[in-house]
Amino acid sequence: METEVFAEVGDEIVRVEGITKTFTLSRKQKKIEKTAVDRKVAVDRLSFSAYKGQIYGLLGPNGAGKTTTLRILSTLIKPDSGDAFVCGQSVVKEPQKVRDKIGFMTSELKLDGFFTPDYLFDFFGNLHGVDGEVLKARKKELFSRFGIDRFSEVRVKDLSTGMKQKISLVVSIVHDPDVVIFDEPTNGLDVLTAKVVTDFLAELRAMGKSIILSTHIFSLVEKLCDRVGIIIDGKTVTDGTLQEVCAGETLEKRFFDIYGEVKGETV
Amino acid sequence: MKLIALMKKEFRRFFHDPRLIVTMLIPGLIIYLIYSILGDALWSKEQDTYSYKAYVAGESRLCEMINTAFGSDEFLIPAADEETARKEVEEGKADALIVFPQGFDEAVNAYVPSPGAKAPQIKIYYRAADTQSSAFYAAVTGILSAYEDSIANKFDIAADNFSSDSEIVGSVLGGMLPFLVVIFIFAACMSITLESVAGEKERGTLATILITSAKRSHVALGKVIPLSCISAIGATSSFLGVALSMPKLMGMNVGGFIGSVGFLGYFLLFLLILSVVPLIVSLVSVVSTYSKSVKEASAYTSVLMIITMVLSIVSTFVSGIGNWVVAIPVLNAVVCMQGVLTGSFSLWQSLVSVAVNIAFTALLVFAIAKMLSSERVMFGT
Repeated sequence: METEVFAEVGDEIVRVEGITKTFTLSRKQKKIEKTAVDRKVAVDRLSFSAYKGQIYGLLGPNGAGKTTTLRILSTLIKPDSGDAFVCGQSVVKEPQKVRDKIGFMTSELKLDGFFTPDYLFDFFGNLHGVDGEVLKARKKELFSRFGIDRFSEVRVKDLSTGMKQKISLVVSIVHDPDVVIFDEPTNGLDVLTAKVVTDFLAELRAMGKSIILSTHIFSLVEKLCDRVGIIIDGKTVTDGTLQEVCAGETLEKRFFDIYGEVKGETV
Repeated sequence: MKLIALMKKEFRRFFHDPRLIVTMLIPGLIIYLIYSILGDALWSKEQDTYSYKAYVAGESRLCEMINTAFGSDEFLIPAADEETARKEVEEGKADALIVFPQGFDEAVNAYVPSPGAKAPQIKIYYRAADTQSSAFYAAVTGILSAYEDSIANKFDIAADNFSSDSEIVGSVLGGMLPFLVVIFIFAACMSITLESVAGEKERGTLATILITSAKRSHVALGKVIPLSCISAIGATSSFLGVALSMPKLMGMNVGGFIGSVGFLGYFLLFLLILSVVPLIVSLVSVVSTYSKSVKEASAYTSVLMIITMVLSIVSTFVSGIGNWVVAIPVLNAVVCMQGVLTGSFSLWQSLVSVAVNIAFTALLVFAIAKMLSSERVMFGT
């Protein structure tokens, strides 16, 4: 697959092919999870596709494997088996090229509080090889869009949590990536900042970007996502358009029905 | 471009934080001030302005000797009355009274040590509780003991020291300075590398950089190169602090020592230090990258520092280490620096040591890049 192939809205831009990831459990983790097994399967032969100009939502309970999947897509970790392709490039074989195509935002990745938003934007722009003039114009546009311009010279450590989240967001897309990956994008945000973020995700989609987000908030999926995949115990149990998955019900009801079927228990 | 951006970030992190700059430079300044003040106090050439008042009763050729030692022919005041003079000493109005019995010199000449024979005696009255009186007593007994030894001696030893002032300083510094330099380099590297590498990993800011398309080798070099430059500043500050103040501490001439090392010596010292700094930065970076937190990294690095200290001490006190030492990183630089400072260096040994240290640094940078790519190391999976 080559990047040029995905020129049209609706073309497949991310393809996850049967990825599996297992982690070795420490003694402490085994005690917490009350298990004697040494390894835990976090993601089990998981597959799905995301398309250009659409938002794909990974929905699942805590520990389902959402974050692990996004970390594999962002090349931070490698799958034990299977592969994933972003704009036709393998996350296993060409991680460096994949990094140029994606923007990844998660609460686990932090910005150095010593620096100002202005400096960090330029720094990450340079790391992504963004041209000076383009970087300047993009900074002006994004800082103004998120109201960061008034705080651009204030050290990140002195800013509010909401503002830090906004800065993380703009820094993650400094290089105007084709695919934007968000792990729980509205977690810990106040309602105003959360709305700014969700509105921006919709804007990105309108700009033809592909977005993959993980969440356990049903309303966020219903409001934003074109396609949704429900993950339980590391496996994709349902994958399709929002309408296909909901099948005339609310997403919340469908989720708990599916969860009950898979786990054999009623919630 | 990406490497430059990474390097500039580290420099900016350091040079925009006054606390870090002060932390890096202050040890050298403190070492210089403390050693210099101690040296000045120990080796002050200032004359004591206190004037002793000492009486003498009786006559002896030793009076002339004591007068000469205290710089005046009329230093000892002949006591008009022995009892009055003794009272003055007791009351603190005079420092001492020396009493020579009548015919002391003749008695000394005639005295032959044998069982039962009583030696001629000098009596000194002083106050042990009084600093000046006590000091005078110590000085006089010193003179008298020297005289006593000279008349009993059957032969004298004439000592002549052929070592110059700068050679003595070189010998002392040659043993001590390389050890101290390595410790200072280690301390300087530790303070900033732990924070920059283990700190960034612990806070999650290093992972944010790994998401970008910057190569892992660039991320590793982007840490090691600027941290080495910054550590070199700290190490140089400490080195200068010791090098300039230690001759003062030992009451010796700094200028003579500097002249004796020479241009080639200084160039080699500079090269050796320059090769050790990135090596230690890389070593601490490897440990920091591996560790989960600054606390864990500090514990591991302290062990490394102790090992380095022990090896450096061993090389300081063990003579005749073979040429094989050039293959041992850090230790090779310590031995070569000792050679430079004592004037017995080998050019090829120094240059090979520098090359070996650079090669080890390259290996460690490669290891850091590999570790940055390892999800087990970076994310504990």
